[in-house]
Amino acid sequence: MTTRNRLLVLSTAATMALLAACGGGEQRQVIQNKGSDTLVNVAQAWAEAYQDVHPTVVVAVSGGGSGTGIAALINGTVDIANASRAIKDKELKLAQDNGQSPIQHVVGYDALAVYIHPDNPMDSFSLEQLAEIYADGGSYLSWTDLGVEVPGCQDQEIVVVSRQNNSGTYAYFREAVLGDADFKLGTRDMHGSKDVVDLVENTPCAVGYSGLAYATEHVKLACIAAETGGECTNPSVATALDGSYPIARPLFMYTNGEPTGYIGEYMNWIMSNEGQCIILNKGYAPVTEVDCG
Amino acid sequence: MFEATPLNQRNDTRQKLFRFGLGTMTGLLILPVVLILGTLIYKGAPVISFEFLFTGPTKGMTAGGIFPALLGTILLVLVALIASVPLGIAAAIYLSEYAADNWFTRTINLAIINLAGVPSIVHALFGVGAFVIFFRFGTSILAASLTLAIMTLPVVIVATRESLQAVPMAFREACWNMGATRWQTIRRVVLPNAITGILTGVILEVSRTAGETAPIMFTGAAFFLPLLPQSVFDQTMALSLHLFVVSTQVPGMPENLPFGVALVLISMVLLMNSLSIALRMYLRGKKKW
Repeated sequence: MTTRNRLLVLSTAATMALLAACGGGEQRQVIQNKGSDTLVNVAQAWAEAYQDVHPTVVVAVSGGGSGTGIAALINGTVDIANASRAIKDKELKLAQDNGQSPIQHVVGYDALAVYIHPDNPMDSFSLEQLAEIYADGGSYLSWTDLGVEVPGCQDQEIVVVSRQNNSGTYAYFREAVLGDADFKLGTRDMHGSKDVVDLVENTPCAVGYSGLAYATEHVKLACIAAETGGECTNPSVATALDGSYPIARPLFMYTNGEPTGYIGEYMNWIMSNEGQCIILNKGYAPVTEVDCG
Repeated sequence: MFEATPLNQRNDTRQKLFRFGLGTMTGLLILPVVLILGTLIYKGAPVISFEFLFTGPTKGMTAGGIFPALLGTILLVLVALIASVPLGIAAAIYLSEYAADNWFTRTINLAIINLAGVPSIVHALFGVGAFVIFFRFGTSILAASLTLAIMTLPVVIVATRESLQAVPMAFREACWNMGATRWQTIRRVVLPNAITGILTGVILEVSRTAGETAPIMFTGAAFFLPLLPQSVFDQTMALSLHLFVVSTQVPGMPENLPFGVALVLISMVLLMNSLSIALRMYLRGKKKW
């Protein structure tokens, strides 16, 4: 055999072996699930656990942001879109023009936590103060404007950490805190919930917002007051659930039409005790009362 | 012997200075490689085990292995090769052996050069538009691999064409004088003598393909899949995207795990590159000129 033929035989054999290795026999049903970075780790946990419930249903999970998920729903390339904000009228119309009919499902609640460095002496913010920090034209530029001095922060200038603009977290924060005003120029826009917390961990001057589930022991979670001078509430699953925490939001999944068949079964399982215990374990508030043993 | 004049001495000192300076600069080049490999091995090696390589991720990807991603990368590369190698080699043979130097050939050459210069994220978006949506492959191994194939075509074409052109013209002329046709000459004389360079190009393509993230993340790679793919129309996990996911997207990730994933990825690429070098050395020994 010449070298060339030998290589040919080898590579053909390798290809056949690989194709055989992944060509199982059973009939599978694939659910395409894409969207919110806030929900992606819950979606992953659901997909992993659902294997034990329905071994032939494969839930393919991708992130990218709420906007990515909803865009994919509009294009008809996903079965379930995850979003940490509600679908906009404009998007709904686009979807309908494309022959899709998005149906909204609330699958959990998230307390949107405001993160600061542990050395920062601030303990609480009012929504008004956050707006002064984040909104275009807001007057708070340095920590001294808020009456504190942050050790380790040169110039005391506030490093304002935000999210990329197709993020549902971004959209919700803008609506709930800024009253739909624009963000200040010069915010650090991070591509992921975890990136925000990572940056705040290492930056004494920083303030950032992200889902409560991304909290670590190396950051401080601010207590949030709805009104300046009012009583503040700490972010937690309980306060998100009873509505006392002012910036808690519903988390959504969108399907094309009322889900039926294996997609319907999956959605039902997500809303069941087992599915809701998983979202609780990931640090979000469940929709229904659950008993997780 | 002449006494060294002050001018000689000055030149001599300068000569030494520059030699030392430039040598140091060159030495600095290996520093990043050593640092990267050193860190990866130091932090990543402890997590590498049989189980890590051959089982799937568990507990929200913070435990278990990377098998679905490893297999996914191999599949993506294989399908991309099946699509791009025959096409690339055929194009290179035509360009090197048949095509006359006219505006048509020059346009094609220009297109190949430009294709090589297109950023990978643009290829990715092209892949979404063309393969995922227009051809209705969906987000699948097929769509991702075809995107990778288009992106790496120039590598195969250029490597193949260069190794074909390195075969001395005299070989072809001798063959033609024996009455052989153009194709017979290519098949029996040119290709066997150029196979080294072609294989090197293909292997370099493999290592490039294995490491790419952008072209696959919208076209076929998933954040997480509970089962292995069954056909080329399924999605897959991939090492490069998995590395991005475990290092930036998942809270509570053990510190060493991302380093382990990176170590596996870089080992795969280095293995391919070494294979390419070894193959080249082995076949060079058989060269007839």
